[in-house]
Amino acid sequence: MASEEAKEYVLPPEVLEETMKASEELWKPVRKIKFRIYKYNPRKDYAPYWEEHELEVSRGMTVLDALLIIKGEADHSLGLRYSCRMGLCGSCAMMINGKQMLACQTRVLEAAGSGDVVELRPLDNFPVERDLAADFTSFFEKHRAVKPWIIRNDDVELNNPTGPYKQTVDEYARYYQFTDCIKCGACLSACPTAATDYEYLGPQALAQAYRYIVDTRDDGLDVRIPVVDTEHGCWRCHFAASCSDVCPRGVDPAQGIQLLKKLLIKRKFGFKPHKPAEALPAKVKAEKKE
Amino acid sequence: MEAESEFKEYYAKNMRGISGWFKARVYTIERWLYAAHRITGILIVLFVLVHFYSTGWHPGLWWDALLGIIVTFHTANGIRLILAELGFAVGKPLLIKKPSQRPVSIEGVQRYVVVFALVLFVVLAAIWAYYALVVQPMMG
Repeated sequence: MASEEAKEYVLPPEVLEETMKASEELWKPVRKIKFRIYKYNPRKDYAPYWEEHELEVSRGMTVLDALLIIKGEADHSLGLRYSCRMGLCGSCAMMINGKQMLACQTRVLEAAGSGDVVELRPLDNFPVERDLAADFTSFFEKHRAVKPWIIRNDDVELNNPTGPYKQTVDEYARYYQFTDCIKCGACLSACPTAATDYEYLGPQALAQAYRYIVDTRDDGLDVRIPVVDTEHGCWRCHFAASCSDVCPRGVDPAQGIQLLKKLLIKRKFGFKPHKPAEALPAKVKAEKKE
Repeated sequence: MEAESEFKEYYAKNMRGISGWFKARVYTIERWLYAAHRITGILIVLFVLVHFYSTGWHPGLWWDALLGIIVTFHTANGIRLILAELGFAVGKPLLIKKPSQRPVSIEGVQRYVVVFALVLFVVLAAIWAYYALVVQPMMG
């Protein structure tokens, strides 16, 4: 019964033809681009060197596609990191013509512009693992240092939950923007302060600290203040705003850091003492009111 | 041998160092202002050391005008930075983002503050230069 009804859905021929044409147009080789790729293995090489490859590039080809073609056909030893190929995992951030970008989201022709050279280097201010892959150990340590999780003090409620923690849209909007971070490292790499201060927490960690501090379910401000309210914390930021400029996800870490400073200053001068977590299950709220 | 290990470490660490402050060509205008603010700040400290030693000493006619440019830029940009870093000119976090969302903290109110700071800098520098190049020589 069902098999009779199930018909194979076929596109109308003219639509199919149009689609095929558009696809061919997108993947047809357009021009030759020269890739200058940074090669360096710190365990083996004395100094980095450049390798050049020429490739016929189409309009739809991303830098990551090109790199995989080069790795498959020309240079098998090329070291790079990538995972999802669609700008969600943050593995393939690198310097493309001197600016931090995700290789999977940047088309080659977009990066090359009117020129015909695309220069690829590992992220600035990160130790080099090999070739285009950077070492993220310290970056993740900084992220861990700001305790990026919700801290609560009411163990009784946590172990025996009485209801959900409700938030209004406004309370959600305070931190939603910062939850999009994919930890690609582009912001810390673009930061001029991070170029000279190795211990600087960096835009990523500070924006995440702000994201958890303003969350209405969170009680952890006093725990985080010793980490962020230091000379290597938010006071090292001088608003060059390059972190927000290069962020591939529109997280705007610069805004987060400035708002964190505002919060700390208000708290210092006693304008707005930080209230403990405002979002409470209904039952706990009722008990508190009594 | 030690030099070689230092050489290797330099490339393995990949830190840009001081040149990272001035790598502004591919970024937004805030990065240029950051670099200029650093330079003018350092120069002001150098002048202030001399100024403390002898408060009456001034570098001279055109050098006075240059000193004015340095000080007024640092002042005007400093006002902008105070506004931004106290969270007054960076907008609010977004609830809805466009697919290619540009940062609100740069391209919102802050852009007007940048223009205001630059205009203020030009006005103050002009007043200072007028005083240093015209009024001061007349007074002897």
